[in-house]
Amino acid sequence: MSWLQRLLSRKQLESDLDKELRFHFETQVADKIRSGIPENEARRLARLEFGGIDQIKENCRERRGTLWFESFLQDVGYGLRQLRKAPGFTFTAVLTLALGIGANATIFTLVNAVLLRNLPVVDPKSLVRLGDRADCCQNSGPKSDGSYSMFSTQTYEQLKRTTPEFEELAAMQAGFENRAVVVRRDGSQEAAKPRMGEFISGNYFGMFGLQPAKGRLISDSDDVAGATPVAAMSFATWKNVYGENDSVVGATFWMNTKPVTVIGVAPEGFYGDRMSSTPPDFYLPIATMPDEMGGKGMRDPTQNWLDLIGRVKPGVAVVPLQQKLSAELKRIYAPDPHFSAADIAKVHLVLTAGGAGTQSMQENYASNLKLLMWIAGLVLMIACANIANLLLVRGMQRKAEMSVRTALGAMRTRIVRQLLTESLLLAGIGGLAALAVSYGGARMLLMLAFPGDQHLPISSRPSIEVLGFAVCVALITGVLFGVAPSFIGAKAPPADALRNGTRATAGGASLLQRGLVVLQAALSVVLLVGAGLFSQSLGKLQHTEMKLESKNRYILHINAQAAGYKDEQVNALYRTLEERFHEIPGVVKVGVSTFTPMEGNDDGYGVHLVGQPGIQTSATNIIVNAEYFDSVGTHVLMGRGITAHDTATSPHVAVVNEDFVKALFKPGESPIGHRFSAGDEPAQPYEIVGVVEGTSYTDVRRNGKRPMYFGPLTQPSEAGYAGAIVVETSHPMSDMESTARRTLMEINSNLAIQKFETFDAQIASRFTHERMLSTLMKLFGGLALLLATVGLYGVTSYTVARRTSEIGIRMALGADRTGVVAMILRSALLQTLFGLVIGIPVAFYGVTLVKSQLYELTTVSSDALLMAVAMLLAAACVAGVIPARGAASVDPVRALRSE
Amino acid sequence: MKTENRFDLPQGTLDLLIMRVVALAPIHGYAIAQRIQQMSREALQVQQGSLYPALHRLEYKKLLVAKWQPTETGREAKYYELTARGRAYLKDETENWKRLTDVVGLILKGTVEGIS
Repeated sequence: MSWLQRLLSRKQLESDLDKELRFHFETQVADKIRSGIPENEARRLARLEFGGIDQIKENCRERRGTLWFESFLQDVGYGLRQLRKAPGFTFTAVLTLALGIGANATIFTLVNAVLLRNLPVVDPKSLVRLGDRADCCQNSGPKSDGSYSMFSTQTYEQLKRTTPEFEELAAMQAGFENRAVVVRRDGSQEAAKPRMGEFISGNYFGMFGLQPAKGRLISDSDDVAGATPVAAMSFATWKNVYGENDSVVGATFWMNTKPVTVIGVAPEGFYGDRMSSTPPDFYLPIATMPDEMGGKGMRDPTQNWLDLIGRVKPGVAVVPLQQKLSAELKRIYAPDPHFSAADIAKVHLVLTAGGAGTQSMQENYASNLKLLMWIAGLVLMIACANIANLLLVRGMQRKAEMSVRTALGAMRTRIVRQLLTESLLLAGIGGLAALAVSYGGARMLLMLAFPGDQHLPISSRPSIEVLGFAVCVALITGVLFGVAPSFIGAKAPPADALRNGTRATAGGASLLQRGLVVLQAALSVVLLVGAGLFSQSLGKLQHTEMKLESKNRYILHINAQAAGYKDEQVNALYRTLEERFHEIPGVVKVGVSTFTPMEGNDDGYGVHLVGQPGIQTSATNIIVNAEYFDSVGTHVLMGRGITAHDTATSPHVAVVNEDFVKALFKPGESPIGHRFSAGDEPAQPYEIVGVVEGTSYTDVRRNGKRPMYFGPLTQPSEAGYAGAIVVETSHPMSDMESTARRTLMEINSNLAIQKFETFDAQIASRFTHERMLSTLMKLFGGLALLLATVGLYGVTSYTVARRTSEIGIRMALGADRTGVVAMILRSALLQTLFGLVIGIPVAFYGVTLVKSQLYELTTVSSDALLMAVAMLLAAACVAGVIPARGAASVDPVRALRSE
Repeated sequence: MKTENRFDLPQGTLDLLIMRVVALAPIHGYAIAQRIQQMSREALQVQQGSLYPALHRLEYKKLLVAKWQPTETGREAKYYELTARGRAYLKDETENWKRLTDVVGLILKGTVEGIS
């Protein structure tokens, strides 16, 4: 009979045992009667000889080996009954655990997904990345620190040739986020849509060890000049856009007006070589990259645009490989005239783990996520303090019960085990609730961090790790705070405890309980101050003067190059765009430019004044049409703006911003009429004809520090084609997007809207990061406050309950209600004040650690501090007044009689 | 009661005695106790409190197997008998026991001063 059978056939075994022992007893009696003893006497003797029948039974039961499990089941059943009996306690405890652990599991879900997860590829540990920075998207020339992370096509090919240490060395486009391709399936009636396309080397999929989900993946033979243009589709795109339709494989797609054959679908779950909110929809081989997608620049040996990841052969050591690659890189850069001897001496390359791909998102979010982890940890501490307090109170309340049980003969270990089971049960239920919280929390967090239709390859479903994490935290909390009260409960000598029972008059909550409340108050004040600071920081950022007008402005982006326009055609396109958009009723101004304010792009070029090569700076170049400055609300401060008279044949002019003037001219000196050159080549210099305000273009943190110059759309410049259209209307127009789409279709059916946003939305999206932090801090601060209030309330009401008879005596002796309320409230507020005394210095210290994530705040502001203190005190009053009023309404006679 | 004649049985010996008695024929618990008492010439009196847990343990270890059978008086009793495994176990353990007692006997043979 196996253990399980013994467990299941318990009833049968019990009756057998009883029958067997009774048979023994009866036979014994019968023997005695036979030997001449009277029956009554025989029975008495037999009973004496036999000993305690229940003791024997218990010993026999133990031999089954199932007893512990049975008593465990018993404990669970009993524990559940106990929890049901105290719904208030159970609810508070489960809620506290759910919120505390749930908050942690939420953050851990993201940390795990963003920071810890490897790419879903074969053996990610043997992958290395060349370089340690996630640069975007294209650059050239020497780096000041000599460390290179992006490479040109030629450099890639050379490195690949000279390093047999790699099984495969693959290249992929860096920062493809900005390079949407416009895609239309051949034969379909739908408009062309922007999709993410990433250019990769032919061995990319082979290097990662990936198998196609359908068709085949790109191989080396596809990545040679003159090969038929092909593309592999991502699984997510195949599923979400094309409904897993098999006919996609082999179909022709028009990408930036060029025919491309889709040869297969990448495996499910593969989201490219980096974590990104815009994972690639299509993978395209580098060698067939057409000029329309920037192919000309990519074939330029000085243009770095590739990230390199390789799979090293087994046994290859990293350090020598890194030295070899650095030396090779030096050799490659040595003949380049842009590199001085000093630059060459500094050239080196750092190998980093490539298992997680290029970690640009990790770089962006690491500090935020770490901060959030700390915050969530603090919340968990507060939650644990609450649980500890609740269990302590409960343990003491049940002292009498335990004493009765001990007096009745229950073993101490059995009592401890029972209490432990109960707290584990509580932790288990809390843990389950926490999983639900973390699922919802992670969804909310992802929505906060990546609003709109971004496709971050992160699932909010808790992973095995998160599950384990939540269970572990729950168990530790349960055991830690279950054991202490159970020992207190079991230790009490039953007689003493029974004698005192509930009649204690002195003492209320223990020092430990009060200490926990003080700790909670201190931690909450830290979190509240933090929440205040982060929302202040966000407010400051958003209310920074950006020197623009966003009311009734809409911004849309197109890609003329992708629609097949050539250099000689774009000027006509710009004119048509201006005309057609002006024809829309309600449109006031139409601005056309390369970038718009608060869009985030930033193309910097070295500029210097003509004839004064020593005076130089790095400045952003934007080309604009005549109405652009009005359309975005930038005011002309001096001279003139760009006008319709600035044409391809008129003098080469530029309007510069205030920061440009500040960087290159002496105070008071007029820049009008001065000339400057930009870029490496001795191109045609610009004549400054006007100065405009320093409108914010990338980040308000850089206000006043970003020199910019604006050239006319129609004159040659460093910038590419203009792709941004700003439409100012006289009144809000909710149908602007469809109107714009129609207008563009009428001009050219290949002109797709790549992005449409109101100006306000574009500005708001620049603060997503900060808004997320601020919202989360507020959430966590509120959570902390709630938990601390519950904790304080619990301890205060416990004190009141313990002191009921004392209060009764006081009132019988003439104390009035206000006096009683004041007495109870005083002790509650005293604990809060202690918490403030500890918490405020901690908050000051904490701010020094997160300073870098705050805007224009270096220490605790008085507003945030006052707010936090006021909120905590208010919460403390609420938590104190309710039990205090209860105490004051005690009827002295009943209180005394209840003893 | 012959408490002065009772031995404290060394660990595991009771199992051996029970199995030896069971080896003769299928037998119920009461008879096992009687039999051990008789065979030891009243020197050993097995208490129910030790007998039944031991029987059950041996049963769960699959050294004994039990079935319910009527006795001569017509009552149902739980009869134990050895399994093949129990028989082999008894044989091994009996030999071990004999070797052990021989060895211990060798050493304790003769009288030592101070011990009578």
